[in-house]
Amino acid sequence: MDTPKIGVYVCNCGTNIKKVVDCDEVAQQASEQPGVVCARSYKYMCSNPGQEMIIKDIQEQGLDRVVVSACSPRMHESTFRGALAKAGLNPYFLEMANIREQCSWVHTDPRAATDKATDLTRGAVRRVVFHEALEKRFVDMCPATLVIGGGITGLTAALELAESGNQVYLVEQSGRLGGNLANVDLTAPYLDSARDLIRERILRATRNPNITVFLDAKVESLDGYVGNFKAKVASAGGTVPVEIGSVVVATGYKPFDASRVKAFGHGTNPNVITSFEFEAMLRKGRILTDKGRPPRYVTVIHCVGSRSEEFHPYCSRVCCMTALKYGQEIKSALPDAFVYDLYIDMHAFGKGCEDFYKQASEIRTIFMMFQKNTAPQILPGGPKDDCEMFLRVDDKLSGEEVDIPTDLVVLMVGMEARDDSAEVARLVNISRDKDGWFIESHPKLDPVATTTDGVYIAGCCQSPKDINESVAQARAATARIMAKIAKGRIEVDAVFAEVNQDDCSGCRVCNDLCPYGAIDFNSETRRSNVISAMCKACGACVTACPSAAIKGRHFTDEQIFAQIEGVL
Amino acid sequence: MMSNGFEPKIVGFLCNWCSYTGADLAGTSRIKYATNLRVIRTMCSARIDPTFILKALLEGADGVLICGCHPGDCHYVEGNYKAMRRYPLLKRLLDAYGIENERVQLEWVSASEGRRFAEVVDRMTEQIKALGPCKVRTALAFDMAER
Repeated sequence: MDTPKIGVYVCNCGTNIKKVVDCDEVAQQASEQPGVVCARSYKYMCSNPGQEMIIKDIQEQGLDRVVVSACSPRMHESTFRGALAKAGLNPYFLEMANIREQCSWVHTDPRAATDKATDLTRGAVRRVVFHEALEKRFVDMCPATLVIGGGITGLTAALELAESGNQVYLVEQSGRLGGNLANVDLTAPYLDSARDLIRERILRATRNPNITVFLDAKVESLDGYVGNFKAKVASAGGTVPVEIGSVVVATGYKPFDASRVKAFGHGTNPNVITSFEFEAMLRKGRILTDKGRPPRYVTVIHCVGSRSEEFHPYCSRVCCMTALKYGQEIKSALPDAFVYDLYIDMHAFGKGCEDFYKQASEIRTIFMMFQKNTAPQILPGGPKDDCEMFLRVDDKLSGEEVDIPTDLVVLMVGMEARDDSAEVARLVNISRDKDGWFIESHPKLDPVATTTDGVYIAGCCQSPKDINESVAQARAATARIMAKIAKGRIEVDAVFAEVNQDDCSGCRVCNDLCPYGAIDFNSETRRSNVISAMCKACGACVTACPSAAIKGRHFTDEQIFAQIEGVL
Repeated sequence: MMSNGFEPKIVGFLCNWCSYTGADLAGTSRIKYATNLRVIRTMCSARIDPTFILKALLEGADGVLICGCHPGDCHYVEGNYKAMRRYPLLKRLLDAYGIENERVQLEWVSASEGRRFAEVVDRMTEQIKALGPCKVRTALAFDMAER
């Protein structure tokens, strides 16, 4: 190998890295490493001037290896690979050292952080020497899509794709389309009918010849890779194999089980109901207590299961506006009724929501604020009282304990991850966060993609959201899919395993290790061979091969050995 | 403390999908932890060859941390089980060489466990500090001289 010419670029990330790590010193230390031709520290390497600097050095100084010490490669590896390609260098001649997420953001001692950044950069410099030019692979893109979940999100995604002329398989677990929204009366803050929103979409979806709807159905298996998945959909009609290029997971949420909050007595006290049970009353147009008479006092309690240490720490986002909606719907049905709204904090962040909050005050909803991690107490009413029960609230604003007369209590139940979320995550090979929600590729820059290429998430399966956001995500996911369909073929990573046929002993140890069945045994030559388009580059076979005949491209033994030497 | 002022060097092999992402989350969450770990990324914990670990110890690491996805959550279906099965064999090998086997540790860290990652690094750093520097190189040098 000719002596490599390495350029090292140490990003300051504004002050994100520089405030803890001495970037100039990291660059200086790197410049003393063998093969390093130039080493620079710069404010923002990912910016256009930063990338131009790298491109200029590659072209003018004849660099053939580049190390960028900056943020996580999960963030900007593709950016800098693009810069190398633009300069005419194979993009795999790049290595990144993560001196932000693993250094400046987690350490406070500048000396120790600078030493660590220097070590990580040295590891990258040593490793990049052994990098090889890798060629891109292209695979055909199947234009059909599997949409899992037939709520507002899944329906929107299915329609968007199908109306652009693409085949969609829409799989719904229950016996009807519409999801949770089908159980809602009006929507906040414009009081549109949920039934109108959802029914029109269901009709369009069921009439569209490009959409195959499976009800009471389940995706049994998903194999393959981006552009070329194979799934099995099981329903009453048997198991159907489908071929698709992309998957949209829109499995939604489960309403919190209110009976878990023992103090409210949901399930034992018939006049304590959940928001979904109240929606059913509203849809029937009959708001009644268990004695069959209209309530004079209705109390709505926010954050049931949400923003609590005991249940879920997060905000479920839609309950505040739904609670305000109840004030309006009750006053419109029962003008003489009193509506009490017991909240922790009022979250009215969406478009039109602050105005909606104002309207709720104008119709004389009585607001009372209680302390987080406490709950209003329910006391039974006596024979002389004109109400079913009292709610004892420690009102934070007046500082007084107040007993509110109440006939009907509505518990604003939050959203939680569905019970089958772990199973679904495993099926489509994506991750879940600590609360069970599916994890996106990047929370800000890549919100509907996942770590599995070709699998997208949209709507409440990712975290609680309102209808607007769910629909926007459904459309975002379909835009990503249609961009791939439009290209016709997709570029897949050039990183995969390959068997050196001369070294292979034909022992077949690797054959059963591959989770994707990507290793083929040729019975004539008695050698194993990796089918590169099916390989996902985990490297299990590379490590297991007793003859060291398998090379894991871009994660070779010599690259990793060099990096180990470098960081120590 | 017996390991007065000793700052061990620990090499961490992290799988790309869970543990490396978990370490990134510790960063984006600004969770502070010990500076002793040097991370090397592999795509899957199944790729972490026992020779990587021995190489790190021979090159002067005082400890080696292996992190992968929790059992059942592997991005590559079951790569972490392969890592899990290799690990006890490696420990026996370390015992045979006279290297304290606590110097090599296997932990599962998911993409959402930034805090757990920081705790793992802190705990392991303290344990290695208590063990003191790894003597594998001096032991080998002695071995060579004997011959």
